[in-house]
Amino acid sequence: MRKPALTIDGLGVSFGGFKAVDGFTTVVNDGELRVVLGPNGAGKTTMMDLISGKTAATEGKVYLYGQEITNKPEHEIARAGIGRKFQIPSIFRDLRVRENLEVAAARETSVFRNLRLGLRKEERDRIEEVIDLTRLGDVLDTRAGDLSHGQMQWLELGMLIVQDARVILLDEPTAGMTQAETLKTSRIINELKGKHTLIVVEHDMAFVREIAERITVMHMGKLLAEGSIAQIEADAAVREAYLGSGGIH
Amino acid sequence: MTITTRGIAESLAYGGFIAAILLLPLVMDDVFWLNRIAKYLVFGMLGVAIALSWGYAGVLNLGQGLFFGLGAYMVAMSLKLQSYTSLQQGSDTPVPDFMLWNAEPGAPTDLCCINQGSFLWIPFQAQWFGIVMALIVPTLIALALAWPIFRLRVSGVYVAIITLAMVLLVRLLIIDAQPITNGFNGLTDLGWLTIGGFEFDPYLVETYYLVAVSLAIALLATRWLVSTKAGLILQSTRDDANRARYLGYNVAAYQVFFFAVSAGIAGFAGLLYVIAAEFASPSFMDLAFSISMVVWAAVGGRGSLLGACIGAILINTIEATASETEVLQEAWKAIIGLVFVLVVLFMPRGLAGVALDAVAWIAPKRKLGPAPLAQQEPAE
Repeated sequence: MRKPALTIDGLGVSFGGFKAVDGFTTVVNDGELRVVLGPNGAGKTTMMDLISGKTAATEGKVYLYGQEITNKPEHEIARAGIGRKFQIPSIFRDLRVRENLEVAAARETSVFRNLRLGLRKEERDRIEEVIDLTRLGDVLDTRAGDLSHGQMQWLELGMLIVQDARVILLDEPTAGMTQAETLKTSRIINELKGKHTLIVVEHDMAFVREIAERITVMHMGKLLAEGSIAQIEADAAVREAYLGSGGIH
Repeated sequence: MTITTRGIAESLAYGGFIAAILLLPLVMDDVFWLNRIAKYLVFGMLGVAIALSWGYAGVLNLGQGLFFGLGAYMVAMSLKLQSYTSLQQGSDTPVPDFMLWNAEPGAPTDLCCINQGSFLWIPFQAQWFGIVMALIVPTLIALALAWPIFRLRVSGVYVAIITLAMVLLVRLLIIDAQPITNGFNGLTDLGWLTIGGFEFDPYLVETYYLVAVSLAIALLATRWLVSTKAGLILQSTRDDANRARYLGYNVAAYQVFFFAVSAGIAGFAGLLYVIAAEFASPSFMDLAFSISMVVWAAVGGRGSLLGACIGAILINTIEATASETEVLQEAWKAIIGLVFVLVVLFMPRGLAGVALDAVAWIAPKRKLGPAPLAQQEPAE
């Protein structure tokens, strides 16, 4: 039995009475890849905001490998081991691709200990690995803001890997991608399976089939169903709320 | 590789600039001009400070004059006490002349109690104290100011407004504290900086060298600082503070640190300016002066420490020449305003940006091997 990586216990937030996430509970095991599905407004992105510290939860707790991280400042949650990829690529546009990856090598976070030139050997090795994995080798000296949309997404993904985040939250990693780009993204994500714990919010069902192990379905801020693709497809409540009568397509 | 071409070009530019300012006295023997240039080199140091906070941290400080002025006042207090005007007042210990002129009848002629605040001057009898304070006070004030600002994630135009208000506030306080600051008149008739028995007469070539070497050190030290990992992280917070936070960096700590370094450099510039110009005045904290610094940096290129430094020196040298021509005297302000508008519109990266583009334009021609291919995706 694998140990739990991320435990979300009764998490909720209310914006002036409206509960965007309402008593959401789930356990994601170490090395697992969890896909979160749900119609627009189900609270998927808000749930990620709550985990990563962007939004303060009004109820419930989040534990990362047993350590409570609820409502801590973003940088402390990140140091604890959570990495986050945003829906709109969030990268350092005025820095070069290589510099982006160097900043992501964040084992040392204090100002004074970073007053040194160059990187440690293990950091450089890690960056080289990620360059291979994301195939960004040709554009290392390009200003990140000049990359194509797909490359920006892979760069951001690569930064999370360099960061060595134990749990990676991915918010619609294939949004706006071409089919070929989506395929490449699914390959990168499959590569990460087992090495990192991944939580992926996604709408693209072809992509979900490509990567999913276990699926969590959210609806109106609450957990609706959890299980394998087959179980979810067969779940009546899910069909009712989200999928319509045609199944997952 | 472009990186190395750019690196070489940059090293040449820094080396050339430092050699030029160090060798200048060999070709210029007019001490008055040399003294003038020394003051412009000080402004060049302010350009470095602005480029660090505005260009690298993305924090537009419209009140950099606050730190320049504080540095200036700190060392001016020491030099005032060293001045003959403070020593010939019928007292055994130095007392600034303006305090005596305004003293109440019968007040003891001693710093301890000639007026209510005069005791603050007592430690400044030691010259080293004034020098150390010129560096420490601006840095500490900057830390105290920056901490709440960046902790609360204030950014952009709001930081500009806060810093602008701060410099005006402190300027008022200094004018208001007339008994100990000489108000509007500032501190004048200063003595000379004296180190190991050597007196730095502002019109000596040694004083020019003191300023030029200080600028070279400040420039190189700041250049080193921005090339460290911390400097890179600082630039990343400028681009996307949230991304930096989600990588685990305490963004406020980086902003506060570099804001304080920038203030320390401005304080150091204030110190040098007093040595070269022999006065400190509330006009250092005039809004127009702080804004001028931003214009120098914009023209030179805020993204480049050296660019902003050269921008400051260039504009001031041209201004000095222009203001001696009668026709241009009045028109100068309009001209510099126009230059600023044109630079912002057409050269957003300033002179440094133009120089870098020129290097990039020349560089590929010297490159061996094929030009980089169009980015390719594996088609599957």
